[in-house]
Amino acid sequence: MNRHFWGKMRDQRIVPKLFARGGTSSQIVYILWVTKTGIFVKCLIWLSLVTLCTGRTLYQRPGKGVKDAATKQPIQTSRPYNIAHRGSNGEIPEETKAAYLRAIEDGTDFIETDILSSKDGVLICFHDVILDLTTDVASRKEFAGRNRTYDVQGFKIPGFFTFDFTLKELKTLRTKQRYAFRDQQYNGKYPIITFEEFLAIAQDAPRVVGIYPEIKNPVLMNQHVKWPGGKRFEDKVVETLKKHGYGGAYLSKQWLNKPLFIQSFAPSSLVYISNLTDSPKVLLIDDVIRPTQDTNQTYAEITSDAYFTYIKEYVVGIGPWKDTIVPVTNNYMLTPTDLVKRAHAHKLQVHPYTYRNENQFLHFNFSQDPYKEYEYWIKEIGVDGLFTDFTGSLHNYQEWASPLPETSKSTRQLLSHIASLVRPYAKA
Amino acid sequence: MRCLPLIWLFLLTACAGRTLYPLPGKGGKGAKLPIQTSRPYNIAHRGSNGEIPEETAPAYLRAIEEGADFIETDVLSTKDGVLICFHDFTLQNTTNVASHKEFADRNRTYEVQGSNMTGFFTFDFTLKELKKLRTKQRFSFRNQQYNGKYPIITFEEFITIARDAPRVVGIYPEIKNPVLMNQHVKWPGGVRFEDKVVETLKKYGYGGSYLSKKWLKRPLFIQSFAPSSLVYISNLIDSPKVLLIDDVTVLTEDTNQTYAEITSDVYFNYIKQYVVGIGPWKDTVVPVSNNYTQAPTDLVKRAHAHNLKVHPYTYRNENEFLHLNFSQDPYKEYEYWINEIGVDGLFTDFTGSLHNYQEWTSPLSETSKSPRQLLSQIAALVLPYEKA
Repeated sequence: MNRHFWGKMRDQRIVPKLFARGGTSSQIVYILWVTKTGIFVKCLIWLSLVTLCTGRTLYQRPGKGVKDAATKQPIQTSRPYNIAHRGSNGEIPEETKAAYLRAIEDGTDFIETDILSSKDGVLICFHDVILDLTTDVASRKEFAGRNRTYDVQGFKIPGFFTFDFTLKELKTLRTKQRYAFRDQQYNGKYPIITFEEFLAIAQDAPRVVGIYPEIKNPVLMNQHVKWPGGKRFEDKVVETLKKHGYGGAYLSKQWLNKPLFIQSFAPSSLVYISNLTDSPKVLLIDDVIRPTQDTNQTYAEITSDAYFTYIKEYVVGIGPWKDTIVPVTNNYMLTPTDLVKRAHAHKLQVHPYTYRNENQFLHFNFSQDPYKEYEYWIKEIGVDGLFTDFTGSLHNYQEWASPLPETSKSTRQLLSHIASLVRPYAKA
Repeated sequence: MRCLPLIWLFLLTACAGRTLYPLPGKGGKGAKLPIQTSRPYNIAHRGSNGEIPEETAPAYLRAIEEGADFIETDVLSTKDGVLICFHDFTLQNTTNVASHKEFADRNRTYEVQGSNMTGFFTFDFTLKELKKLRTKQRFSFRNQQYNGKYPIITFEEFITIARDAPRVVGIYPEIKNPVLMNQHVKWPGGVRFEDKVVETLKKYGYGGSYLSKKWLKRPLFIQSFAPSSLVYISNLIDSPKVLLIDDVTVLTEDTNQTYAEITSDVYFNYIKQYVVGIGPWKDTVVPVSNNYTQAPTDLVKRAHAHNLKVHPYTYRNENEFLHLNFSQDPYKEYEYWINEIGVDGLFTDFTGSLHNYQEWTSPLSETSKSPRQLLSQIAALVLPYEKA
């Protein structure tokens, strides 16, 4: 570049900025400079547009965590799964982004959610079919007329139903803490999130965090919401999962990248989607007096050996209510049933629900101590996963009582052998 | 005839020989696992009263089972001057006295620390009468199944429980309501309530300054809300004493001093000649707002600067007692108080939970463990591999 050129360059304030890029850009600028300025300005604009549209930002954009999955700390599979039931809802209103972020911070393996639908067919994360208990809908004058009564699994339930509100309307609401004895300070702060927003939270986590969505009240959803093309609620759930790259049999490479369990109280829904996705499914089991919402089968029937033999073609595990596994009388647990044994005999995992810290939920055997409850269920009953409202407490317990191994596989096998040798002393 | 010497030897052995196992009540001469002194003391407040009615023999036995370092009790007096283990000066909250028709007329009103209190006062019952009563769980949300089963125990029975434990377990008795006791109970020879407490302790071999050889054999802290009582007994026994401190609005029952006064540096300078530590109500150490803990006061720092230990009360598992910072998790509370605030001991209703927390996060050194305990620890470490 000659001195003449440089002299001209210095006069123009915009040009030094171009030189910051250096190389080809500067040469282009030079060529343009020696022609007419008008063309120069047009080309400058063009170049800028090209850069803006195609260049990558230096920071990682949200929702794009996928590519880095291989470098993320993988999910642990050597001890029972810590499943954050509705996020860390012991601390923050359930199924909100804040509750899920907190759960991830607290060390959870899986974040769990319930999927329902809005009026316009958008999948949302919400547990109850009505909005009354965990949102401020009752104080919204504009929705006063939406208080209706519908039949839900044989019961007439009044309230503000999710499927009577469009997503836009739902987004104007704010959530609140369900239980009066939990922290109320976040009431009115956080909105309901969509299923896709939930997936983004998992994908953006700094380590591999699994998801555990429930196909909630599918009978009711399919009754009140219609999707184009005759699609069912279950189809939409699977479609969304696949769109975000979820799939793969349990413990496969694809699964380990994006761990997933699909749960439901409705066995026919799980059977239905078994053709659509090979992701592991879990059959939830309600209390002994409740029949299944879709097939009207009793507890006794769906926990029989015959049924296990059938359903294990479709699910990898069951999620029972813990007080049916170990019955309770006068707030004391009695002898465990053989449910876990039999499930394990059928190679079905057992993920009971729900573990809560508050003493009103703890049976007296546990001395008002949630860690004693974890210890019992993990060591004595031998469950494979736990749905907990207090993922941080379960994480503490597991970290203190059974920290993850740092060693290689061969050493692990050796230690496994030692374990079986010293196991009897554990109770001494 | 030849068998006679053999028979004689046999008889001699059978009558005079020692059993191979240690006899109960004799504690084992120095073969007991010693008390730990390397991490904050786990003080079973009124025994394991989270599970079993407070201050009963089973509550204390359970506490020892669960790993307590100290079993704590409150000492009051009967009408006939016998020292008993009981917290309230009235009987109705934790016994079935109200259902005993023969005691119906004992429901009386007395002035206690400036207020009129009505109830069945311990000093209106002889020991024989008190022994007819049965205890019950104070809190309705705790286990009610032992109600009506266990009697009140005497201070001597309490000491025996500690003495008979399979490992060294310390005791932490409180000289409770001494002003009230001395008002209503007279001992022969002008002896005071405090004298009787110390006399009983000495009778069972307690004594020795903090961490002395004698103390380590029979660990003991004597606590009281009444500073003058602690000063009074300092001449009688060199055992370590702890000054309990009530809420910020409460005056000392004997010297009528304010919280501010007895937690001042000047006062610490004075009282540290008589006590080794203080026992404050934990919500005064770290104030609370909207059920959230705020920035800690400098109480612990200043106490430590005066070489005074800090043993706050009382830690409870139930969420209604846990501030929201702790996510309804009692272990997070222990973690905060031990790691962040740095207390030297904790009065807890759930000694088993505190023991778990300490064992998991700050296990004692291996030298104090028996082979069985070591294997148990290894088992816990390798158990996860079994499932892999």
